[in-house]
Amino acid sequence: MSHSEPIKLKAPDHESLQLPASMANLALPLLGGGGLVLLIGWAIGTATEEGVRYAMLAYLSAFMFCITVSLGSLFFVIIQHLSRAGWSATVRRTTELLASAMPLLAVMFVPILIAVWVGGETMYAWRGEAFHELEVAEAKSLYLNPLFFTVRAVFCFGAWILLARYFCGMSKRQDETGEVKLTEKMQFWSGPAVIVFGLTASIAAFDWIMSLAPLWFSTMFGVYIFAGSVLSSLAACTVLVYWFQSQGKVKDEITVEHYHDLGKLIFGFIVFWAYISFSQYMLIWYANIPEETEWFFLRQEHGWATISIILILLHWLLPFLAMLSRNLRRSPRWVFGWSLYLLVMHFIDLFWSIMPQASETLGPSGGGLGMLSVILCGVGMTALYLGGVFKLAADVPLIPVRDPRLVESIAFENI
Amino acid sequence: MKDEIMAEIEDQELIHGLTAEFDSVDSLLTACRRVRDAGFTRTDAFTPFPVHGIDKALGIRPTKLPWISLTGGVIGCLTGLAMEVWMNGINYQYIISGKPFISLPAFIPVSFELTILLAAFSSFLGMLALNRLPRFSNPLFTNPRFDRATDDRFFLFIDSKDPRFELEGARKLLSDCGSQHVDPVVEDNSSATVPRPFFYVLCTLAILALVPPVVIARMRVTRSGSPRFHIFYDMDFSPAKDAQTKTTLFADGRSMRPDVPGTVARGQLEYGLDFNTGIDMEALAAIDPERAQRLVGAFQPPAEEPAEEAPAEDTPAVEEVPAEDEPAEQPPAEEEPAEEEPADDKPAEDKPAEDKPAEDKPADDKPADDKPAEEKPAEEKPADEEPMEEKPADDKPAEEKPAEEKPADAKPMAEEKPAEEQPAEEAPAAEPPVDSLTVDNTPWLKTNPLSITMAKLERGQQQFNIYCAVCHGRDGSGSGLVAQRAQKILSPTWVPPTKLYNVDLGPEQYPDGKLFNTITHGIRKMPGYGAQIKAEDRWAIVAYLRALQASRNADALVDLVPEGQRSELKSMQEAVKQRLEEEAQKAAEAANKSAEDAPKTALQNS
Repeated sequence: MSHSEPIKLKAPDHESLQLPASMANLALPLLGGGGLVLLIGWAIGTATEEGVRYAMLAYLSAFMFCITVSLGSLFFVIIQHLSRAGWSATVRRTTELLASAMPLLAVMFVPILIAVWVGGETMYAWRGEAFHELEVAEAKSLYLNPLFFTVRAVFCFGAWILLARYFCGMSKRQDETGEVKLTEKMQFWSGPAVIVFGLTASIAAFDWIMSLAPLWFSTMFGVYIFAGSVLSSLAACTVLVYWFQSQGKVKDEITVEHYHDLGKLIFGFIVFWAYISFSQYMLIWYANIPEETEWFFLRQEHGWATISIILILLHWLLPFLAMLSRNLRRSPRWVFGWSLYLLVMHFIDLFWSIMPQASETLGPSGGGLGMLSVILCGVGMTALYLGGVFKLAADVPLIPVRDPRLVESIAFENI
Repeated sequence: MKDEIMAEIEDQELIHGLTAEFDSVDSLLTACRRVRDAGFTRTDAFTPFPVHGIDKALGIRPTKLPWISLTGGVIGCLTGLAMEVWMNGINYQYIISGKPFISLPAFIPVSFELTILLAAFSSFLGMLALNRLPRFSNPLFTNPRFDRATDDRFFLFIDSKDPRFELEGARKLLSDCGSQHVDPVVEDNSSATVPRPFFYVLCTLAILALVPPVVIARMRVTRSGSPRFHIFYDMDFSPAKDAQTKTTLFADGRSMRPDVPGTVARGQLEYGLDFNTGIDMEALAAIDPERAQRLVGAFQPPAEEPAEEAPAEDTPAVEEVPAEDEPAEQPPAEEEPAEEEPADDKPAEDKPAEDKPAEDKPADDKPADDKPAEEKPAEEKPADEEPMEEKPADDKPAEEKPAEEKPADAKPMAEEKPAEEQPAEEAPAAEPPVDSLTVDNTPWLKTNPLSITMAKLERGQQQFNIYCAVCHGRDGSGSGLVAQRAQKILSPTWVPPTKLYNVDLGPEQYPDGKLFNTITHGIRKMPGYGAQIKAEDRWAIVAYLRALQASRNADALVDLVPEGQRSELKSMQEAVKQRLEEEAQKAAEAANKSAEDAPKTALQNS
């Protein structure tokens, strides 16, 4: 593309801008099959030594995987409006779709709420008797109690659904009206939206993962989950875009330049994730205060050390060195491959954050059955989520067809 | 105009290349592609703003700059790691926060920062180098039309060094692309010599720049009576420490009234005065009520204590000495008082202040003293084997007020005995280590006021390992990390720490109270730890030291071992001796290791 060739926009209902039929047809099977696999995975989890507790944490790992992808996408959408980005208009729709499946995920959170209310300490130790005998329990219980936990969860999901509906809804409306005013409105609200997002994302990370170890705390934990969240959403966006293109869609609109930029962002967030996780680790390691080291100590025992090292080498070092290459970032196939890989790594990251809390002794394999349960839950939940996304995508074009910056985005070149 | 210029330039050598001017980005890009397709490689485009895709249109290959950045980053990372591994892991091993000497997580932040720093530097400098910058002029600037390249025109340039360059052909190509102005770029043949004034100014500046280093170099090799000139103030005498205005609250310039001597504020003296001084105050009061009173007074304002040490070393020497020694003479001393007893108070005063100087200038001092003959032996003995001076240490608290307030008092005293004046001034400079302790008749506490329990001993050991072991070594042999380091670098100002199991430091020669006092106020180069270690812990250290001494001089204590176990002990001792002998032999063979084994052989001999 270059300035000398005028860009011809396709009609909004052009065939190449619609979700490929093969994927649209997948929506229902994915929803049904995903739900089934998830159930089987959960059931297998209950067969482990830790029983329902293990199954629930496997469920939580899978849930966190999907919600982080969705949240990262929401953040991406907001930040594009905040920075008035031109390059990203064509890929923004994909992230909008990933973000607007939020209500589905809110429904998927209900089992966790049930576990908190009726399951006692099945999931969260702060529901247990042992915790309340501790001296700190009195103060901590002001925050860690089922009612406030639920209020916060409702607040978070409320905020996210609202934000997703607002930003994705306006964008869809623009497909029909083409009003520039809508973009201006979204730009205006993107600032406050980012603040709300930052607050709710931290609450989610603290409540749902960090409070699994109710005595442990790290103020960086929210940022840690956020870093993985944005990374995974960029990877998911790349994977979906590549998938669309492999089905012959949006081929003229999304170019190697967009892959290049997505690749740059992925590279940046690989480093950001490593930076944050190391900062969190180093402070705790250096100060060596028992109440802080507890969390990392657990992750050095019973085989978790292997996963910890795998994360350093394969979540950071390997993709870091690979994505350093400009040639690689300008190759859609390679960016797609590494994105898939990073999604797996992100799941392992969450697995490492959550599952050690499930059992003192079982270790990463969970006695075989545990591992199977985690994988099935992950696959099932992801399929379910993807089915939801496809269902939503069937109704809208794959790019914001009348976005005022669309031409700029299609013509975008890195150099 | 073109033709005129062309007519002038017959010699093609002078032509640097051709520029073509365009009105719009699109016409420039089209021209770029045509020129690229025509096979030209040494081309460049000049635009008022960045034009995306122009690299591709011109066929410019991607820059090498990322490789330069990567190299810089890798070098920075490795430099950071190597530096830290070398410094903390090899050259100056020091335990920080209980981490290993080579501790990767602790090294990462520095390596990371250096990676970023060198990557940024190499990117910046590499960019300059690849662009052949900085340069003062470019032949392109000779064309006045080219000024519009920063405004509203787009230029395409073909270098004459391009293998395909041929003046007429290139000109035709550019004209065909739609350019209205195709101009030759003339080599800039203006003189390359630096203008004279510029040269002179530069030379002058260079010469002026030499002045400060020359002055510094001269200052370093010449002696001077005036105080040292500090470019950067030490914190100790930084002007920031001075009050900005004088208080008028009290006539004497103080903002608070000093405590009344002889009183103890509430809560200031938790365990009593004996516990805090290591001196039997009752006995001292009987001998020297004045000093006892001063000591009591000194313990009231705890805030002033740390401040004492510094001044006590310098000016108050005159004051200090008499205070210490006067009482010392009256009661019979326990240690080696034989020589001293006959001496009067007055001569005794002089000794400590004089110590070395006294020997240097016997002509001045001795005649002035009453009984110089007795002093000399007294001074020398201690100087040889045990040059500790607990006097200054001891008196510091007591003297602190005089040190600050009554330098005037010192003078009159000095006047009385002119001999004192010189030593007083020189004493601090002359090196404190050679102070005499012969006249120390202070009634030190002979027993540790703490009730010794295993817990107390362990506490003492722990505190010892924190505060003392860095110099004295964990075994008290003076082999601490700091001492090792000082010996290794042959530090000229270093005084090796005393071996703490020396017989001189045994409970007989060096009572517990005195040991406590030394820990509190320091001795020679050793600073006082009174401000850092609680009195109770200091006593615990004293107790632990006694245990340490006993462990190193075990032969004398063999009677303490139950009868039945003595033979067993004996055989163990034999085995150890034998083993040590073997070790020593081995060590002797390895010549360079002999130094390390010295203590072992010494032990074996004893």
